[in-house]
Amino acid sequence: MQVKDSNRNRRDFGSLAAICLVLQIAVAPNIALGNGRANMALVFAGITSLLVGGQLGVLCGFLAGLVFDLSTTGPIGLMAFLLTVASFVVGIEARNRLADDFRGSMSIFALMAVAVSLLYHLTMLLVGDATSFVDVVFLRTLPTSLLTIVAFAPFAYAISHATGSALTLGGKPSKSARSHGSRYDLNI
Amino acid sequence: MPRKGGTTPPSTRFKRTDADGGLRTCIVLVVVSLVMFTLSVREGDTGGVFNTARGAWMTITTPIRWVGGAVTAPFQGLGNVVANLTTDQERLSDLKAENERLVARNAELEEAEQTARRLESLLGLQSLYNLQSTAARIISGSTDSWSSTVTIDKGTASGLAVGMPVTDANGAIGQIIRCGSTSATVRLVTDENSSISAMVQSSRAQGVLRGSVDGTLRLTLVRTDQMVEVGDMVVTSGLGGVFPKGLPVGKVVSVERTSGSLYYEIEVEPLSSTESFEEVLVITSLTEDQKATAQDVAEADLQDTTASSPTTTSETSEGGEGEGDADATDGEASSEGDDWEGEYDEYDEYAGEDGA
Repeated sequence: MQVKDSNRNRRDFGSLAAICLVLQIAVAPNIALGNGRANMALVFAGITSLLVGGQLGVLCGFLAGLVFDLSTTGPIGLMAFLLTVASFVVGIEARNRLADDFRGSMSIFALMAVAVSLLYHLTMLLVGDATSFVDVVFLRTLPTSLLTIVAFAPFAYAISHATGSALTLGGKPSKSARSHGSRYDLNI
Repeated sequence: MPRKGGTTPPSTRFKRTDADGGLRTCIVLVVVSLVMFTLSVREGDTGGVFNTARGAWMTITTPIRWVGGAVTAPFQGLGNVVANLTTDQERLSDLKAENERLVARNAELEEAEQTARRLESLLGLQSLYNLQSTAARIISGSTDSWSSTVTIDKGTASGLAVGMPVTDANGAIGQIIRCGSTSATVRLVTDENSSISAMVQSSRAQGVLRGSVDGTLRLTLVRTDQMVEVGDMVVTSGLGGVFPKGLPVGKVVSVERTSGSLYYEIEVEPLSSTESFEEVLVITSLTEDQKATAQDVAEADLQDTTASSPTTTSETSEGGEGEGDADATDGEASSEGDDWEGEYDEYDEYAGEDGA
């Protein structure tokens, strides 16, 4: 559920960005499933777009994608482009989902992960960095998507059950939201 | 959408973070990212702004990567653990069987390696002494408790005969006393009934090497005026005409000189242990240079004559039993009537010593 962009939320997003950055650089390269590795930039972009969406979500998606591009050997700008578009689309979609629909958040993110991974690897195939469509789909896209979804799950759970935070992806209502009288009292 | 308090429909109470949902920002960033992508692809892998930026980024984040690698190192084998846990029973059974087979094969190869080393040593001995020999393998030990013998897997069918000397890689170990068509019995030098013409290598002191019940060897009939020291090597003298001259047999471990005795009491430790006998060489014939020469026989005679002479040193004047002992050392080889026994009939009393 998207909420207003308060200073506290900025701190939360800052912490989240730092965590995802460290995980992307330090941990993700060392945990592989086949040729796939978790894309923490996608996780960060998914969380921000699901939580706040809009301009901030798009910006976070772009920056996350840019960091991902800089961290890999692929062309710079590709993941930035994909995450920018994906964040915008997910941000629009997340506005209309049910607040307690944790499963819905996971589903949206799963679709986002699969779509972004598939498009990324297909583009890599087109620019000549990959040679086999089958390899792209089954040995790269699917493992990457799976690991990314797995990596997203604990973040989603933690955010959903965090006390003192206005951010939620559904599930247990946050204490902070209830303290404002309503979970949906999202005045800016 | 669930509602908590208030009567206003939730949809009308959402406040968007921006008016158009970030569409304009999205368009701008999409254009930027596409430009970056295009330039990056054109730039290739070398040079350019993007590669420089990437290099700088990699440098900045290197410490994080290093720490991450160190932290995740213990978990690198997690994939193998998971793979092992999910391995089916059939695969595990196959691996166990394969492991057992490899262990057995390893033991077999180690055994083969040791055998090869022993054979190399035998070949070395054969080459060193220019021995005309046949290789054989010991297949059993003594069948009784009162003789020290071994059985080898070659017999008359392989050209072996009674009286032929047998050696291992370290030196002489015995002499064939019975010979079947496919096997032969070898009396070891440590057998109580064994006696071999031998000499101390350093001083050339002649004597007779006899076996004993306790498994040690005793070099007898060595005069006390000869030089014998602990550690001296004892080799075959070749006087019996059975063993080739100079083949090592043992090493002196003690020398005793009894007052009034004409001869030393010399204990010799055999070079070869009966437990280590596996591959052996049966010497089938001797070359001329392996036999004792007439000069050797003369020197032996001289030593013995000197020992029995009353004009020699005081220690030897009370002796005189040496000759008789030497005569009493006829081995079985002398009674078999083959070529081997005939040779030492040409020599003096020492010539009959090679009867293991």
